[in-house]
Amino acid sequence: MPCGWSLKATKARTSKLTSSGQPAQQLAILLQSQRIRLNSALLLAVSASLLFILQCYLLASLFAGWLITSQQGLPVNSDQLLNSLPWLVLCLLGRPALQYWREQLSLQASQHIRSSLRVQLLAKLADAGPAKNQYGNDGSLSSKLLEQVDALDGFISRYYVQRYLVLITPLLLVAATFVYSPLAAVILLITAPLVPLFMILLGNAAATASQRQLQQLSRMSGRFLDLVRGMATLQQLQATERAGQSVANAAGRYRDSSMNVLKLAFLSSAVLEFFSALAIALLALYLGLGLLGILPWAKEVIPVPYQGALFILLLAPEFYAPLRQLGSDYHAKAQAEAAIDGLSPILQRQAWQHPGTQQLTLNSAPDIELQQLHILTAGQRQRLAPVSLSINSGGRIALQGPSGCGKSSLLHALLGFVPYQGDILINRHPLTRLERNHWQQQLGYMAQYSSIAAASIAANLRLAAPDATDQQLITALQQVELWPLIQQLPLGLNTVLGERGRGLSGGQLQRLALAQLLLRDAKVWLLDEPTAHLDGATAYRLHQLIGTLSQGKTLIIVSHQLHGLGWLDNIMRLSNPAINPAVNPVEGAQYVQA
Amino acid sequence: MFKPENLPAPERSIRLRSLLQSRSKAWLLALLLGLATLLAAATLLALSGWFISAAALAGLASVGAYGFDYFRPAAIIRLCAIGRTAGRYAERLTSHYAALSLLKDLRVHSFSALAQQQHNNHHSADTLQHLVGDIDLLDQFPLKVVAPWLWACSLTLLVLLFWYLLAPPLLFAAAPCLLLALALPLLSVRHAKALALQDTDASTQRRRLLLEPLSMLTSLLLWQRWPDNISQFSVQDQACLNLQLRQQQLISRTALLQQSLLALSLLALLWQGNALVAANLLSVPLLLAAMLALWALYEVLLPLCQSFIALGLSSAARDRLNRLTDVSAPTPLNKPEPAAPFSLNVNRLSARQSGALVGPSQVSFTLQSGEVLLISGASGSGKTTLLQALANQLVFCGDITLNSLLYDEWQLSNTLAYLPQQTDLFDLTLAQNLRLAAPDATDAMLWQVLGDVALSNWAQSQPQQLDTVIGEYGAAVSGGQARRLALARLLLTQRPVLLLDEPFAGLDPATTAHMLNALLAHQRNGLLVIVSHQQLNVPHAKQLQL
Repeated sequence: MPCGWSLKATKARTSKLTSSGQPAQQLAILLQSQRIRLNSALLLAVSASLLFILQCYLLASLFAGWLITSQQGLPVNSDQLLNSLPWLVLCLLGRPALQYWREQLSLQASQHIRSSLRVQLLAKLADAGPAKNQYGNDGSLSSKLLEQVDALDGFISRYYVQRYLVLITPLLLVAATFVYSPLAAVILLITAPLVPLFMILLGNAAATASQRQLQQLSRMSGRFLDLVRGMATLQQLQATERAGQSVANAAGRYRDSSMNVLKLAFLSSAVLEFFSALAIALLALYLGLGLLGILPWAKEVIPVPYQGALFILLLAPEFYAPLRQLGSDYHAKAQAEAAIDGLSPILQRQAWQHPGTQQLTLNSAPDIELQQLHILTAGQRQRLAPVSLSINSGGRIALQGPSGCGKSSLLHALLGFVPYQGDILINRHPLTRLERNHWQQQLGYMAQYSSIAAASIAANLRLAAPDATDQQLITALQQVELWPLIQQLPLGLNTVLGERGRGLSGGQLQRLALAQLLLRDAKVWLLDEPTAHLDGATAYRLHQLIGTLSQGKTLIIVSHQLHGLGWLDNIMRLSNPAINPAVNPVEGAQYVQA
Repeated sequence: MFKPENLPAPERSIRLRSLLQSRSKAWLLALLLGLATLLAAATLLALSGWFISAAALAGLASVGAYGFDYFRPAAIIRLCAIGRTAGRYAERLTSHYAALSLLKDLRVHSFSALAQQQHNNHHSADTLQHLVGDIDLLDQFPLKVVAPWLWACSLTLLVLLFWYLLAPPLLFAAAPCLLLALALPLLSVRHAKALALQDTDASTQRRRLLLEPLSMLTSLLLWQRWPDNISQFSVQDQACLNLQLRQQQLISRTALLQQSLLALSLLALLWQGNALVAANLLSVPLLLAAMLALWALYEVLLPLCQSFIALGLSSAARDRLNRLTDVSAPTPLNKPEPAAPFSLNVNRLSARQSGALVGPSQVSFTLQSGEVLLISGASGSGKTTLLQALANQLVFCGDITLNSLLYDEWQLSNTLAYLPQQTDLFDLTLAQNLRLAAPDATDAMLWQVLGDVALSNWAQSQPQQLDTVIGEYGAAVSGGQARRLALARLLLTQRPVLLLDEPFAGLDPATTAHMLNALLAHQRNGLLVIVSHQQLNVPHAKQLQL
């Protein structure tokens, strides 16, 4: 039953300001679901810009009215102010209100996207099962799911709207300016495209530089973390002062290299500042000299009357404001792209759905037959060279082989997490025809690190068997020879273990895991190096115990060490597919008598 | 809670106030430059407004074209434009230089504080990751709290002064709302800090609820318990997201109120201005300048709204950092060092690792210079715990005396050498890793100890030999090799008491014998304690079975 799958290789991220590579596309896909909220936010922001134009118009008219009246020596009364007051209040109070609602909508959108992304990522990880660790260890997976997903916030709640606003607002303002003075509009229009141009030029340089700086930062943090983690050793060696010097040097180097980058990076925002300030100054001079009628090319003529001049002058700062805001939100985009880049291997994992629907209830240990079982990695590399073997009902075998030869993958295929080629037959039923959940419930699985939570011993055992009575728990603990120890503890079964079972030794934890297995009464046991991290004597005793307890079960154990495993029916050696890619299926698996 | 002034802070703990002190000149320069920049921006806006209004007035009177001095305002406008740009650039560079220097100081400070702790092996990698994050959070205090408030207050003051000089009634009309807008963010202090604290707790809880199911994913899936574990996480995640949302909303609401107050101030200014212009007490161009000065303040006051969230975050970070780097009173260093010959006497020793349910109890033995003690026992019987107690790394009951004096009465840092099961090699070269133990060791000495642990062949086969980089960024060494390198490093210290936890795990008999002989030769005149589950062939060795 061929279940081929493929996964596109992720392209290396290009960090150019203008690039619309993979991360950008993936971000766009993520935003799809919240488009209504985000577009409404954009609409509100545009309305706020329109209100701003109206506000400038009202103020310009008001001041122009006052200026002309006072110039003509007429008494200034408050009629004009009273007339425009309602509109002015609307603008002055309306803008902050629109801004507030825009933020609310963006924040809600961000919240929805992030929580649904987490659900999606967790589903992918559950799908991958034990293969989840190809995406990183648990610590880095959790920081991907938490911090990296949260790193998208700035992009969703600020950058997305700002990206459109940076085009729309200046165009609206230029249009408004054009009504009064085409030349002023031209000044604005000329300086505007220069800004993105400079930003691209400088931004590209700054982006590559900041990429390097990020690496440096992670090196510095790495050095710090590395030394702090080994503090006990450093104290022992009395080397803390030298190590502290090394921390200081690394931080100092980071500061100096950062400053070089920042000099460049801030230049792009300085360019923006410069254009914004220059345009205001230019406009003020042009309009002011024009009002005096002493422009070199238009003597004795007033090109823009006072009301229009003031209107334009009030608008001008706002022309550059969205660009400046975008500049400061740009790091939100870079952050989000880096984050989505880290998440994309998980997101792009192609869901492999175990196809079967048949329910096979095992009343006794089944026989298992592998026919030309062959597993490929996502990149179509061979993970497990074709293997054929059969285990009788109640047969117990070990798998051995160099690391990377696919021992664990074979177990993962049997668990139903990995697609494969060839056949796996359980009591002569193909595994892919069985319903996965139902099949998995009948399996006992144990890995190098046991599944022990920071909870009481009883709660840990009941994770595996929720309905077990205290007596059943005690029986299981007696079988794994832990009861004498636990009995002595003041709280007995209710003794609370620390994180990852702290309080018990490695061997004791694996015994507890065996008790979990016994409580499940599974007919098939799949054990993936259960003793790898234990010392020889403890491993030996655990192996013996497994031998005693697994009688009558069909069992496959992956193990480097063989002592204590005399009870096995067979030992199978797998060869490494990477070393011998064109492996002959017959040579790929050979039986060795135990 | 957040009250740094009332806390009897230990000497070495971090205070937010003192964050500015270490680089006070750089910060002062940055703050002044920022102030100058904002002042230039406000002046640019107000002066431009006044300029075109005055020009219009002059133009209308049609005398002004000749009498109106436009050179000076034009020059000031250009100066402000350039000043704003250059000031912003310089301010950013100085403040970032100061912030990066601050981070450097903080890293060094936390490192040396951690280095002074006695038993710090309880910090998980996760805690340390947070330590790095917390240090990075502390630069928010000067950048997002101190600077914005300083700038906002001084600029507001200047604007008020400007209004007063123009016409005092203008000040009386518009100042109340402006001052309210300035003070408004203060109202959010308590709430913002509470939220920041909750945020920390909720994220810790959320991480725990994710890490645990993740570490037992396969079993939970097989037991059909994954969905309910993950739904617990999702509930907590939702709580965290809501908390973040509430922080943001606090900022947004404060901003909304602040902007509305500024709008009211603007209206009051216009209303009063109208009366003043009518009474010929104020010219229209100056009224416009007064209004534009207020307008420029919008931008300056807005960052205040989020300053208290930043304050809450950095004070929470400071508290965590201080808790982590809390230093117990340093031990005085004037104790004597024991000298050869050595005699170790252990009497009724009991010890527990923190959180452990069992440990060695009532252990007694004696050991003289040149003698070897082999400790064996089942897994979990407390061999490691016993060794840690002997290494003076664990609190214990009972007596350990060395040369007839209790451990407490000796300065033991140059006497005891302990090889734990989990060893640390650093991201340094092989030679640098070894020289941590003895900075002045010659290459020959390094090769000698590498030979003792049967690694000289391996080191010679590396292309860069002693300069081979080890660790995350360099060549990977296997767990067994790492432990042997750590042992080699320990041998370099030349300490008389050597305590080794499973030094031969995973080695073949020939290598074990080679290393054992080298160790015996090395400790001819010292004490050697070896915990091992293997049967070791040492003639005349004392045996201790736990």
